[in-house]
Amino acid sequence: MEKNTEKTSAAKAPKKSVNGRFYKTVWRWHLYAGIIFAPLLVLLAITGSIYLFKAEIEEVLYKDYYQVSPQDERAAVTEQLDEVKRLYPDAVATKYRPGESETRSSEVTISSNGESLTVFMDPYTGKSIGELNNDDRIMDKIEEIHGELMAGTLGDRIVELAACWAIVLMVTGFFLWFPKKKTGIAGTLIPRLRKGKKILRRDLHVVPAFWVTGGLLFLVLTGLPWSGLWGANFQAITTNTGEGYPPSVWIGDAPTSNIQTQDIAEVPWAAETLDVPLSAIQGQIPLSLDKVVEVAEQEGIYPSYSIFIPQEPEGVYTLSVFPPKAQDEATIHIDQYSGAVLADYRYENYGVIGKIVAWGITLHKGSQFGLANQLISLFICLSVVFVAISGIYLWWKRKPQNGIGAPAAPALFNTKAFLFLMIGLGILFPLVGLSILAVWLIDWLLIQRIPSVKKWLNA
Amino acid sequence: MRKSGMLALLLLCMLILGACSLNSDAASLYKQESPLQVKMNVPEDLSVNEEVVFEVSLSQNGAPVDSADFVHFEVQKQDGSIRFPMEEAENTENGVYQMQFEFESEGLYYFEVHAGNKGSVVSPQQQFIVGKLSDSELESLKQGSKPEQGSSGHHH
Repeated sequence: MEKNTEKTSAAKAPKKSVNGRFYKTVWRWHLYAGIIFAPLLVLLAITGSIYLFKAEIEEVLYKDYYQVSPQDERAAVTEQLDEVKRLYPDAVATKYRPGESETRSSEVTISSNGESLTVFMDPYTGKSIGELNNDDRIMDKIEEIHGELMAGTLGDRIVELAACWAIVLMVTGFFLWFPKKKTGIAGTLIPRLRKGKKILRRDLHVVPAFWVTGGLLFLVLTGLPWSGLWGANFQAITTNTGEGYPPSVWIGDAPTSNIQTQDIAEVPWAAETLDVPLSAIQGQIPLSLDKVVEVAEQEGIYPSYSIFIPQEPEGVYTLSVFPPKAQDEATIHIDQYSGAVLADYRYENYGVIGKIVAWGITLHKGSQFGLANQLISLFICLSVVFVAISGIYLWWKRKPQNGIGAPAAPALFNTKAFLFLMIGLGILFPLVGLSILAVWLIDWLLIQRIPSVKKWLNA
Repeated sequence: MRKSGMLALLLLCMLILGACSLNSDAASLYKQESPLQVKMNVPEDLSVNEEVVFEVSLSQNGAPVDSADFVHFEVQKQDGSIRFPMEEAENTENGVYQMQFEFESEGLYYFEVHAGNKGSVVSPQQQFIVGKLSDSELESLKQGSKPEQGSSGHHH
C-alpha cells in the first residue's frame, strides 16, 4: 500500500486516524466510480462533441434536400400533403415543417410500416425532392448514443447513472484535490512538470480535473432534466409548482379539441359498400393545414416551427419550436376543428425554473451563443476525455500486480460523515442511491464471502 | 447504524421514484387562453328551395357571448359552383347568431363561421348535404377531399 500512496502532499493521508479513514473511503469510492464510469463519460463527451455541431453537419449532409430556389407563388400545404399521400398511399402524415426561409424546403414527416420518414418538398412546385428514413440519420444515431446508448430505457438509465456518478466523482475528487497544507498553487492549480514522472502523472489528472469540474458540473446538471427518470420527476415537480415548464411543453398532455363526437363529420370509407347515413356525413371537418399555417403567422412564431398533425378525433394541432435561443421557444395548441388557440406558451410564460432549464438546454446543446458556445462546450468535452483517460492511466501505473490498488476498505459505511454524504447524494439522485445499495449488497453477499475476490479488491 | 441507514435510504429512494406525477390542474398555474366555443346548428334533411335558418351558439369561459367582436357566415358548394360570401350574422339572444339560407341545387356544401371575441378567433367548418349527394361527391368524400380552396380565410 505504501508504494501506491506516493510521496505527494495531496495523496499523503493526514495523521489523524479518523480523517485518514475518511480520506481512504473517499479515495476508494472515487477509484471504483472512476474505473466503472470513465469509459461511459468518454463516450458521452465524444458523442456530445459531435452533436454540438449538428446543425452545421446536417446543413452539409442534406444540402440537396434542404435547398430550393424561390419562386413567386407557393403551393398550398394541402396540395403538398396530397402529393405525399399520392406517393405514399399507406402512410400517415404526422408532422409538417414549413421551412424557416425562402430557400428552405418544407418537410412532411410520415409514418409508414412502422418507419418514420421525412419527405422533403419543394414548397413552390409542390413536388417531392427526396426522402430520408429518420433511422438512417447519422446525427440522430449520435443523439441516440449520447442519450440512451442506443439501448432504449435501459440505456437512458445507464446514461443518467453515469451523469449522476460524474457528480459523485466530482464531489469526491474535489475532496481528494483539496490541499491539506498551504502548498501554493503548484500541484493544485498548475501542474508540476519537473518533479518526476509520478508527480507529473498525478498532476495531469488532478489539476485539469479541478479546472474542468465547473464546466462538467454545468453540462451534467443541464443534461439531467432530459433524463428519463430524474428528469421526468424533476419536470413533474417543477411544473406542479407553477415555476417550471407549462404542461405539454416538456411533460403532460396537450389540451383536447372541444367537440362532441357526434358533431364530427364521418368519412365514408372507400371499402364500404353500404350507404352511409347522411346525418353521419353532416358535421364539422378538421381545419386544413393551410389555415393552421395562417394561424401560426398571425400568432408570430419562430419560423423553424413544426406542426404536429392530430391523429385522434379529439386531438389538437400543435405548433412547436425549440430554436437555437431559449427566448424564441413556443408551444401552441390549436383546436383541430374551430382553429381556436387553446394554449399558447412562450418562453415568457415559463416559470423561473422553466426559464433556467430552457437556457440550460440551449447552452448544453451549444446553440444559445452560437460558435463561442460550441467551442467552449467542445473544450469542456475534450477536457473530460483527457481527465478520464489520465485518471485511468494514473490508476494503471500505480496499481500493484496482484490487486486493484484501492486503499484498504474500512467497513463500507463506518464513517458517519461519508454515510450522510452518500445518503444525501442518494436522495438527490435516486439512481445513485439505488446503485450504492446494489454495491452494498454485492459487497455484503459476495465480496466479503469470497476470500480471493476480497483480497484482490482489498475489501 | 449501517443497516438501518441503508434501509432508510432504500425507502427514501422508493418514495422519490414513485412520488412524482403531474397534477391534472397544473395548467391553471400558467398562462391560460379563453377560447371561443362554437356550437353549429344546421338543420338535418335539407331540401332544395326551402328557407332554412342556420344558427351558431357562441360561448367563452362558460358564458354565452352576447356581443361578439364579429360573427360572419360563409357557405359554398363543394365544387365551388355556388357561393354565399362572408356576411355578418344576425345577433339574437343568449349568444345565438343566425342567418337564413335557401339552396337551389342538391349536393355537398360547407358552412364556415368566422367569429372573434376578446382575442380568440375561430373558423370552424361544417359539412352538410342538401337533398342527395351526387356520385362524384360521394366519391370525393371517400377520397377525404376538402372544399375547394379560395375561400376568404383572412379576417380581422
